[in-house]
Amino acid sequence: MSEIWALGAESVITRTERWGRPLIVKTRVKKPYLHPEIDEALRRQRTARECRMLSFARSLGVPTPAVYAVDRSTYSITMDLIDGKQLKEFANDMPDSRLETMCFEFGRLLGLLHRGKVVHGDPTTSNVIVDNRGKLWIVDFGLAEWNATIEMMGVDLHLVRRALETTHWDRQTLMLKATIEGYSSIMGNETEEVLSRMDEIRERGRYH
Amino acid sequence: MVLTCLGLEGTAHSFGAGVVTSEGEVLANVWDMLSPKEGGIHPREASRHHSELGPGLIAQALQNAGLSPAEIDLIAFSRGPGLGPCLRTTATMARAIALTLSVPLVGVNHCVAHVEIGCLESGFQDPVTVYVSGGNTQIIAFAGGRYRTFGETLDIAIGNMLDTFGRAVGMRFPAGPIVEREAKSGKRFYPLPYSVKGMDLSYSGMLTAAKRLFNEGVSLEDLCFSLQETAFGMLAEIAERAIAHTKKRELLLTGGVARNNRLTEILEGVAERHDAQFHRVSPSLAGDQGAMIAWTGILQYQAGDRLDIPSSHVLPKWRTDEQDIVWRSDL
Repeated sequence: MSEIWALGAESVITRTERWGRPLIVKTRVKKPYLHPEIDEALRRQRTARECRMLSFARSLGVPTPAVYAVDRSTYSITMDLIDGKQLKEFANDMPDSRLETMCFEFGRLLGLLHRGKVVHGDPTTSNVIVDNRGKLWIVDFGLAEWNATIEMMGVDLHLVRRALETTHWDRQTLMLKATIEGYSSIMGNETEEVLSRMDEIRERGRYH
Repeated sequence: MVLTCLGLEGTAHSFGAGVVTSEGEVLANVWDMLSPKEGGIHPREASRHHSELGPGLIAQALQNAGLSPAEIDLIAFSRGPGLGPCLRTTATMARAIALTLSVPLVGVNHCVAHVEIGCLESGFQDPVTVYVSGGNTQIIAFAGGRYRTFGETLDIAIGNMLDTFGRAVGMRFPAGPIVEREAKSGKRFYPLPYSVKGMDLSYSGMLTAAKRLFNEGVSLEDLCFSLQETAFGMLAEIAERAIAHTKKRELLLTGGVARNNRLTEILEGVAERHDAQFHRVSPSLAGDQGAMIAWTGILQYQAGDRLDIPSSHVLPKWRTDEQDIVWRSDL
């Protein structure tokens, strides 16, 4: 038996139970409004990518849900259910010091990915789960990429800043500062180059 | 009391004059677009276009509205973002009229105006807006008292991509409508680089690949078809991410590229999947024009916003999220 857990932008997530353990099944469903070849390619590539990335990220020291099964015919992945909440959901009610700690950790995990030459591709606070013991987990690796260049890392940080601006507008300054501190605790001297690329990227798409 | 506002738009290659009342009635909306024979828009040429045609278009708008200048209560102008020379020419006209008629002046954000005129037409309260034109590709939504850009292009705008491709294959400017027509006879799909980063996207990779395929002899129809499917698929994905993220229930499509029927069909599908309402802004209000500036000017003025002439300098880099949206304080 399974129940719909969440409707994402590119997937349907259902909850299930196996071996006495709560799991989720993330299925990249067909989108009839896309060209079938594009739809098929995205579902196939992203399912494969997410699967491999979840494991690879863990080898870099980033907590991610364990994968139990992949079904290539339905483009679905069965993985651990992380019992917790999205950072997005309760960031607004958290006292400053706690929020700083969380964001520092988020930045640190992002730094671990980047140091391993991996970008997440969609690093928003929706994709950070905080479990009951306060541990951070990173999810949703469908847009992640290997062999990350400075440009790709700059885009990743640009997306972090964008997410904070649009979703946590009243606390974005504190959150961004703590995230960058956590990031540079891992990336060290390389941080400056990625940050200046982040600034450059923001200006690029605009018409002026 | 019903207010009547004259709105001037001139951020890029189009100059427009529109007359709108505080009841939301568009009394006039005329514009002219500079279409260079070759190459892109030169800011100085565009501003000359505006200063040469502007006064005539303003007179035309008043005539279409059946109003004398004395019946105008308010002047609004596109204060930014845009090309500096174009903005300054337009602002100069707006200041001159405001001083001559002794009426208040309001400075309007071009991107915000696209959203507001779309809300007026659709009756939407709080949409996720896909704003696509020659110079802009943005996903905008209201959050925390401001319009915020949830996603945008990391390099070139979709209209710019279509025009640049069109120029490379010998199409006139603007190429968008020609690409759409050619795409209808396209059969075979050629995969092109698909580049989505979070809620942002990038079009330069697919542009380069499409030009290369053309040079390798791939048929124009198939290429236009593949170009549209890929470019619009990417837009659909970031729009979908924004809807899933914000949980909003309205999807608005606006800007010059909103005229494209295939893009509309794809976004209708997105809206349906998320139980959201969909509206495409009609062509006369979707492109760059004065009615959207006039209407947004009225909203701002009624919320107490007005501009002193000495501090009415233009804002070429005015970000969408830099303006407090005072007239939406209840949301």
